[in-house]
Amino acid sequence: MEARQYDLIFICRPDTPEAEVDKIIATLEHSAAEKAGKIEKTEKWGTRRLAYRVDKNREGQYIYMLLSGTHGDMIHELERRLKVADPVIKYQTVRLDEEHKRQKKLTIRRERRAARRPRKAAPAPGEAGEAAAAS
Amino acid sequence: MSEETQKPAPAAPAADAPRSEEAPRPETPRREGGGGFGGPGSHGPRREGGPGGPRREGGGPGGPRRGKRQFFRKKKVCKFCVERIDYIDYKKVEMLQPFVQDRGKILPRRMTGTCSRHQRWLTSAIKRARNIAMLAFATEL
Repeated sequence: MEARQYDLIFICRPDTPEAEVDKIIATLEHSAAEKAGKIEKTEKWGTRRLAYRVDKNREGQYIYMLLSGTHGDMIHELERRLKVADPVIKYQTVRLDEEHKRQKKLTIRRERRAARRPRKAAPAPGEAGEAAAAS
Repeated sequence: MSEETQKPAPAAPAADAPRSEEAPRPETPRREGGGGFGGPGSHGPRREGGPGGPRREGGGPGGPRRGKRQFFRKKKVCKFCVERIDYIDYKKVEMLQPFVQDRGKILPRRMTGTCSRHQRWLTSAIKRARNIAMLAFATEL
């Protein structure tokens, strides 16, 4: 089975100390490893203003993770952990592998089509660039 | 808006002699130009030329109906098609911001000129961003 890719974003309260956040990340890594998953990337986006109040907070610390795994169970486990963690006020998981597959297919199809037919003038921004370069 | 509807109107009563009881009726400002939508039932409204036109659907200047005309003529090019963007990332709020009203509502396709495929992707991306509090569901003005 191919590896699935997921995006996981969760928001902690703005006054959460760094150590707590790291502890949560470590817990998630541990849980993911148990379920044969891997955390490819972790990014901390810092404190950002929220578009609406969540649990009476106007700001929050955003943490973004890129995960890969073969089983959906991993996500259930991670979300369970996030639900019981106190500092976490919101989380969202998005499955991305299907979309990436489609994106890749479109890109490949477009490149193949462009290579097949005689390369006409490039799209408008390209044309303007060429015209500017020529003049 | 109403000046254009009233310009051909003086010609209408002259030609509409058999239906004279309807033609001299005072013009309401919301007289529809296309397709006789809710018109008085005579052929008067349909004869108006100009941007109304019979049944000109979305993308035409001012949209399909002459009633609401906030954006006169938005460009008809799909920004994503021109830039060849294959994936609309919900995390990039600055890319989504131009397609969202001040009140937080998603702008319709006929206002932004997006193609249907990209509008669908855009809507999913905006809804995901809303869920994670990067975009608002609704804002008070």
